[in-house]
Amino acid sequence: MATSFGSCRLQRYWRWGAVLRPKHDQQPLRLAAATTTSASVNVVLIRTLTRKVAIVGSGPSGCYTAKYLRAAWDKNKEDGEIDVIERLPTPYGLVRYGVAPDHPEVKNVQNDFDALFEKEGINYYGNVQVGRDVSIASLREIYDAVVLATGCQSDRRLGLEGEKNYSNILSAREFVAWYNGHPDFVHIGEKVQAALGGPIDEDKVRDGVSVVVVGHGNVALDCARVLAKGGKGLYDTDIASHVLQVLGNGVAHVSIVGRRGHIQGAFTIKEVRELVNLQEEGFAVSFVVREEELDMGATKDSLEELESAAGRPKQRINKLLRSAAAKKLDDNQPKRVDLRFLLSPSSWEPSADDPSRIEALVCERTRLEGHACAQRAVGTGEFERIPAHLALLSIGYKADPMPGLENHFDFERYTVRNERGRVERPLDGRLGGLYVAGWLKRGPSGIIGTNIPDAKETVASILDDLGSLEKWNEREVDLLSLLQEKGIQALDWGAYRRIDEKEKMHKRAENQPREKITDMKELIKTALHSSA
Amino acid sequence: MIHRIAQSAVILRRIKPPGGVVVTPCYYSIWKKNVPHQFDRTPKNAQTTTTTGIRWHGGSAVGADAPTIQVTFIHPNGTDRSVVDARIGETLLQTAHRHDIDLEGACEGVCACSTCHLILPSAMYDNLPEPSEDEEDMLDMAFGLQETSRLGCQITVTPEMDGVELRMPAATRNFYVDGHKPKPH
Repeated sequence: MATSFGSCRLQRYWRWGAVLRPKHDQQPLRLAAATTTSASVNVVLIRTLTRKVAIVGSGPSGCYTAKYLRAAWDKNKEDGEIDVIERLPTPYGLVRYGVAPDHPEVKNVQNDFDALFEKEGINYYGNVQVGRDVSIASLREIYDAVVLATGCQSDRRLGLEGEKNYSNILSAREFVAWYNGHPDFVHIGEKVQAALGGPIDEDKVRDGVSVVVVGHGNVALDCARVLAKGGKGLYDTDIASHVLQVLGNGVAHVSIVGRRGHIQGAFTIKEVRELVNLQEEGFAVSFVVREEELDMGATKDSLEELESAAGRPKQRINKLLRSAAAKKLDDNQPKRVDLRFLLSPSSWEPSADDPSRIEALVCERTRLEGHACAQRAVGTGEFERIPAHLALLSIGYKADPMPGLENHFDFERYTVRNERGRVERPLDGRLGGLYVAGWLKRGPSGIIGTNIPDAKETVASILDDLGSLEKWNEREVDLLSLLQEKGIQALDWGAYRRIDEKEKMHKRAENQPREKITDMKELIKTALHSSA
Repeated sequence: MIHRIAQSAVILRRIKPPGGVVVTPCYYSIWKKNVPHQFDRTPKNAQTTTTTGIRWHGGSAVGADAPTIQVTFIHPNGTDRSVVDARIGETLLQTAHRHDIDLEGACEGVCACSTCHLILPSAMYDNLPEPSEDEEDMLDMAFGLQETSRLGCQITVTPEMDGVELRMPAATRNFYVDGHKPKPH
């Protein structure tokens, strides 16, 4: 009978222990180091392997997965290493680069995630791109489980004729990343500025300038609100400084268009309320909703949707929009946001002076057909021309398969095929399992909190699989040595903290939470610099 | 002591026990590897200085000497129960966190998310002041929303709440913010 300092059932943690066992007891041990023989016992120094899990992506889905995995191991008195691998130098994905600058309280979740790296011993590897610097296959050779939580790097397009060639049609995703200071999207500023008419004084409204935003989700409403408030209205936020001279004090006219009605709108009430309240809050923006469009959207089946179990949020939105439509329009405001419904984009109208740009979006009026919760927009043959100096498409983020993932990718829904988060089971002793969490798993829907049940489900699948493994990877290398071989400089948590501290020190306004560093080289330089 | 031996241990020979597990010789230090770059695996419970910055926290700090009542949190699985003391004046979210109950508070209690969602008994719900417009807006996005749902960070503990049972909603697989199940359009 063998006894040891550690669990001899070898739950899989690397540590030194000694096993005393009778010489004739030749059960296979997982790994053995030095042995001595003496009398009737073998004293064997053993090492047992740590469970290792890699999470690719440090956005909300990746961080919640790390959090619940660590919590589950703590609860079961098990141990393991969790490595979070992030492409950018800074973590947190869309919490940092997607949430609007005037929603700072939504970013509080970063403090919760900070604790993972500072207190829970989860390792951070920034500036490492999986798919380019290290492959999914190599990760699976080192880790017992690899979780992909990389979200969406692309977007859906309308696909109207000529769309790809016009220089003043951008995706909302690029626009948001730009105003949030994402280092890969700094170049978008040039395009926005050219579309809106050159640089402008921070205090001046862009008179006579129109922007059309296509889409009825929160991202579309965020874009409209940021365009209307302008850099000036967002000066005290963490909006990137390069936005100030491009947006000035806001653009004169923003139209938000979508093909279905207000009851189908994917936006949530908080964002609608913010648009309604812009004027009252002193941003000099009037908000317009047309009563006729609300009436047209109040079909029998849509009203049924209001009465359904999930109808409560929609009822409140309906009430809010009705009261906004009933208010008399204040024409004295220099800026205006129009929330339009039942208009389906039909064609881009090129500018007469410069055919490489559009000057309007032509939309077809639609009506709703179909059952409740399945209402479809059908064209009526009537068209409306919406002038636009800049168009932003906000009809959905989209994931692209990274190298190695093509076989598992669902090219219709743009997600990775999975069963409760599991993509591939681990191969005993050879390859760790493959899992997904977040938008890559369920598509680009939901809010930060939606990743909570999502991550819990993926973690449950991981624990199931780890629990039933009989043999473990021998693994002789770890991620750092793999990266060092290739000359990739990974940034650890301390490196990110240096960026964090610097951003909080060098602010343009006292009330700013931070002034983001937007240049990639400067981010890395700050990260590696060890002194103040 | 054994660590020192371990640190310098070298496998003497390849061992191949019956059963076919091959043991590979190697030399392995249990201490951190020396790496040329500043890479550092943060050990558990590392002391780090907290940075100051603009943070918004919900709920006032209620001292340990405050009078308490008893409340029960029913976990999402419907069966596990935690009977704990709640201090008068703190929020239910603070109560949960003080007792390490698994109630998320992503926005740190400032009514900017719906993760601290609790389902109250009707009697308690009816006796509370109406939720603010902000709280209603956030509740719209909560998963598993019920008639008597409230946000834990918006409810202050009062003596009348003694003995209440608070249900934590079961996570559902429906991931749309408004509970909607989409059909193709």
